[in-house]
Amino acid sequence: MDIDDILASVDRGPGASLESAALDHQLLTRFWVAERAVSEVLPWPAPLMERIMDRVRIQIETIEDLAASSETTLPTTANTHNPNLNLRLSILQTDLARSQYIVRSLLRARLAKITKYSMHYLVLLASRNKNPLASQTQSTASSQNPNQQPEDSVPDISELTDLAPLSEPETSFLHAHQTLLAGHYAGSFMGAFPRQLRRLDDNAGGTSMIQGPDLKEVVFVRCLGAEVPVVVGGEEEEYETGVTMRMGDVWVVRWEGVKGAWGRGEVELL
Amino acid sequence: MAFPLPRGVTASEIAFLAEMETVTIVPRQRLEGLELLGGPIEPLVPPRRASLPLWLALLLKRQRRANIIPPTWLHPEPLALILEVESQHQDYKNAFSPPPPLPGQPSILDRDALPSARPQYTPDGNRYYAAPPFLHQNTAQTVASSRDPPSLPFHWVEVGNLLLDAASDDLVDPDQIRRLLKDLREVRMAKMRSGVDVLDAAATGGGGVALTGVGSMELGEDRGFITGVVDGLRRIGSSKEQARREQMAEQRANGGYDGTQDDDEEEDYMEF
Repeated sequence: MDIDDILASVDRGPGASLESAALDHQLLTRFWVAERAVSEVLPWPAPLMERIMDRVRIQIETIEDLAASSETTLPTTANTHNPNLNLRLSILQTDLARSQYIVRSLLRARLAKITKYSMHYLVLLASRNKNPLASQTQSTASSQNPNQQPEDSVPDISELTDLAPLSEPETSFLHAHQTLLAGHYAGSFMGAFPRQLRRLDDNAGGTSMIQGPDLKEVVFVRCLGAEVPVVVGGEEEEYETGVTMRMGDVWVVRWEGVKGAWGRGEVELL
Repeated sequence: MAFPLPRGVTASEIAFLAEMETVTIVPRQRLEGLELLGGPIEPLVPPRRASLPLWLALLLKRQRRANIIPPTWLHPEPLALILEVESQHQDYKNAFSPPPPLPGQPSILDRDALPSARPQYTPDGNRYYAAPPFLHQNTAQTVASSRDPPSLPFHWVEVGNLLLDAASDDLVDPDQIRRLLKDLREVRMAKMRSGVDVLDAAATGGGGVALTGVGSMELGEDRGFITGVVDGLRRIGSSKEQARREQMAEQRANGGYDGTQDDDEEEDYMEF
């Protein structure tokens, strides 16, 4: 046990942990619904998921302790305590299963999106953390390489530190998945192509081969702030606003128009 | 395939969410308080009322350990009133009846009052505004003042049906309630269908279509249809939108804003 653990245990005092258990559960539920509703992978809420997984671990221990005590005390107190103990156990287990279901569904939804748009996220991650000089030399080197393989177009992301929106395991899964896929493509059909056509991130003729999530798709949102304007275009563009949503309203709008407001917690996806 | 379900929560997931709503029960036996992952549960001491998540209330009800007190809105009178508003009232010919107000939102009766959202703060320091299913909209004693007209909560279809299935003996006149719920659903379904005409507004950038008052299950039913229509309309209108945006960029450039045009052109190029 080091100083960080002690500080953490003080931070999570008994009173605070009860309050935040309910709050974290609500945050997790909302994040799950949001992740299910949009086409892109949302930023990984690392602190929240850590807290949730800690609680799940503690809850499993509690249930195991209770189950063990019910077996040991069975002969003596069978008539008085056992019905209640069984009830408590079944309630705790149902609650645990519900939380685990949300976490599992959340992770699977993210994995599905990551595999669907794997090249998009690899290029996104690689482009953010690479200095432009290095990538240039690499691309010229690879285009001259006579033995160009599809695997070569999978960017190396082992040195990255900023992994947003993915978590660390998701990033390594993404890289391994795409490398395998590129190897499979090479073995099954791409090896027979002329070598300038073997890249998976080909953008000859102004058409990119990489498919990304469609941010213009519509989503259902509830406005939680007092007034939230819908932004025209993405966040990078100018701050041009369209209609204004008022508190409590439910709207059908483009995801890119409310993405910023979602990040600030002013709208909720439904 | 990592995940076979379509985008957006499905009907069974919506029912799962509805089971997180809080309801009021009268316990028939004692039970010490429990610390659940979804938050603490108060000790149950009969005959004192307690507020529990719906899934737990149903679990206790099925084992005959508790009675559920129906939510304020799930009685024949308020439902009949809402049905009358939905079907007869001029203001709601093409709109759903107003939903229960969020905390800090002024009541429907004083329209001029300004909403004042009161956020909680998460352990990570972000703002958090509570919303259904975590508001007490299905308890027997609602927080809203009694002068508020009755309103259908976000999860009304699911909560209504779950209670009719599992706890119909706790409801007042369950057959009448079942009939009213069915009528309400039909009236509102017709409204949803007739609203298809205005979906074009959601297909343009910065535009949107308001569905205020819609229920979660109703949204889930029409999610695929609405997103499909809007995305189709968007594709049809994309060249028109493109032209409009180029025109606006030009106007901006003429009006003295320089430098934005380059960005816009680059953006346009990226889309094709």
